[in-house]
Amino acid sequence: MQPLAIDLAEVSKTYRGRVQALRGVSMQVSAGEVFGLLGPNGAGKSTLVKILTTVVRPTACRGRMLGAPVGHKPTLRRVGYLPEHHKFPEYLTGSQVLDFYGALAKVPRAQRRRRTEELLEIVGLSAWRHKKAGGFSKGMRQRLGIAQALINDPDLVMLDEPTDGVDPVGRRDIRSLLVELKGRGKTVFLNSHLLSELEMVCDRVAIMVKGVVVSQGTIDELTAYGRRYEIEVQPAAGASGSLPAALRRAGLAGAAPGDAPRLASGASVEVEGPVLRVGTSEPEAVQGVIDALRAEGLTIRSVRQIRPSLEDLFMRAVTDPVTGRTLSPGAHVAGAPADPAGPPPAEAR
Amino acid sequence: MTQTAALFRDAYRALSAKKLFWIVLVLSGLVVAVFAMVGVTPEGISILWWELEAPINSKVLPPDKFYKAAFVTLGIKFWLAWIASILALVSTASIIPDFISSGAIELTLSKPIGRLRLFLTKYVAGLLFVTLQVAVFTAASFLVIGLRGGAWEPGLFWAVPYTVLFFSYLFSVCACLGLLTRSGVAALLLTLLAWFLIFGVHTAETTLMYFQERSAYQVESGTRQLESAERALAEALDRGEDAAARRTRVEDRAARLADVQARAGTLNAWHGYLFTAKTVLPKTSETIELLDRTLTVSADLENIDAPADSQAFGRNDPPVNEREVQKRVAERIRARSPLWVVGTSLLFEAAVVLLTAWVFARRDF
Repeated sequence: MQPLAIDLAEVSKTYRGRVQALRGVSMQVSAGEVFGLLGPNGAGKSTLVKILTTVVRPTACRGRMLGAPVGHKPTLRRVGYLPEHHKFPEYLTGSQVLDFYGALAKVPRAQRRRRTEELLEIVGLSAWRHKKAGGFSKGMRQRLGIAQALINDPDLVMLDEPTDGVDPVGRRDIRSLLVELKGRGKTVFLNSHLLSELEMVCDRVAIMVKGVVVSQGTIDELTAYGRRYEIEVQPAAGASGSLPAALRRAGLAGAAPGDAPRLASGASVEVEGPVLRVGTSEPEAVQGVIDALRAEGLTIRSVRQIRPSLEDLFMRAVTDPVTGRTLSPGAHVAGAPADPAGPPPAEAR
Repeated sequence: MTQTAALFRDAYRALSAKKLFWIVLVLSGLVVAVFAMVGVTPEGISILWWELEAPINSKVLPPDKFYKAAFVTLGIKFWLAWIASILALVSTASIIPDFISSGAIELTLSKPIGRLRLFLTKYVAGLLFVTLQVAVFTAASFLVIGLRGGAWEPGLFWAVPYTVLFFSYLFSVCACLGLLTRSGVAALLLTLLAWFLIFGVHTAETTLMYFQERSAYQVESGTRQLESAERALAEALDRGEDAAARRTRVEDRAARLADVQARAGTLNAWHGYLFTAKTVLPKTSETIELLDRTLTVSADLENIDAPADSQAFGRNDPPVNEREVQKRVAERIRARSPLWVVGTSLLFEAAVVLLTAWVFARRDF
């Protein structure tokens, strides 16, 4: 089993005004993985990262980061951090920015110089090394920020919205960089609203809603609930009846027209026009269906395995299962009336 | 050490990126250039190649003393203690608000450096502006006094630590207000207000001290007058003369003495309150006066500042020797040791800086 880079239990933070940004967060991030933290605005994602980087003091916290208690300053030598909406001193040039933050991270001078050159090359800012950061575009500042987070060659990199303001080419470069970091055994902790990007690079994700982690695991584990196969058919010229009727004749569905179709394995079957949806992730379970449909003279146009996207997962997390309403953004305020669509407990999901 | 050096290097880069830093440096150069342009001749004062007849000439005031006096009165008391300090405050008021601004502070706090050390280093680095300005100004003045006045006076360099010390009192208040308000403009305006209040307390205290000494002198002279009148009355009574007029004079002088004593008591009480307030506040004016004192002694200028011999009498009050009163006030001020002036001011500064550091260490950003 991989050692844990981050192991948190019952982390809570209440700001002034009884704003409960975190309400007992427990989270594990394995060393060497790319971990994504997602959640709506005000969910507490940035507060959690700020607690890990000692920018914010927790109200309560039991946990360790890179083997040391959270808040242990010397451990931050091994941590790189890119805050959201970061701001560099405008009077510093690109290389001076990296040198300054490298020095604060206690990187020796010779190593700083070497890393500065390497990183500016990696993030595509070599030509801008002697230009003032105040004149950089948002995307360039973001690239410089990522270089800054890597100046100390950290074991754990925390990036808050790393692709914010970056063009598609830059995003691809950042994704490649993250994959490379993972390949070098580094742990990457990502905070992002861009779910498709997280999906592309993350090994595991956690979803946080109103200061509580409502689910965490690999994307495969979290999306298992909605996996299905979609079979699209094209009725043959001589085929008799509709798709549901064909299913009934094949003994794959209930006898009555109104019955909910269900396979013998228990997997649900749903028909919408020429598309048949079979609620299973097992390929064996759909073979009989395909055979039966072909026997009925139907032509199979396509068979696709469908997995819920991270966005589906996210929307599920922020939607009340009973009312169907999405949660209002923002942190939980102690004593305030409960959100009518407040986050259901993790076990309910 | 790497971190401290980086913070100081960053502070220098931040300063050199400010136009105001260079403007103040150029203005300092202009002030020194004016020193260099003005000279003293046997007939009067020279400005470049023009000579003006004036009561101040090299017979009264040799060139070396002329330049040293100009440095103390114009360079220190006017330029460094007022104009350059206000410009320095304008330049440095935003240091802490910029440092803690959202997006910038996260980058710094996430590094392996303790908050207390980070704040204190940043605070000391904030004094770099005034240190550089005063060092350059003093070095240039040293050269002008040496070359034009023929006196090489290393004692002038006392201006650097004293002026930095004086500025640090104000900067501690400015840093505290900058942290609390997060606004450079608010910090600057409130610091100027605090400076004005400190200056006001100092002025009120020294003014009351003058009246206190004046009253004390009047009590002494009034007592002497009363005793003299009483003696004259006793002698008249012994001689069997009509002493009604003398008796009236004794009663009149006794009443005036009682008035003056009552006034002296009130002044003593009020001066006591103001002195207590002043003790806990930083002594900006007195620190500069301390520098003035140090430079005056080291540059042998003591006779120049001696108060004029003047004598003034109130209409009804006992007579006052103004020169004697001013001398006594000067003695009392000089009796305040540098340790008291600097020590109590540094205690104030330490308390403000520690309070600010405590707030900084506990705040969530």
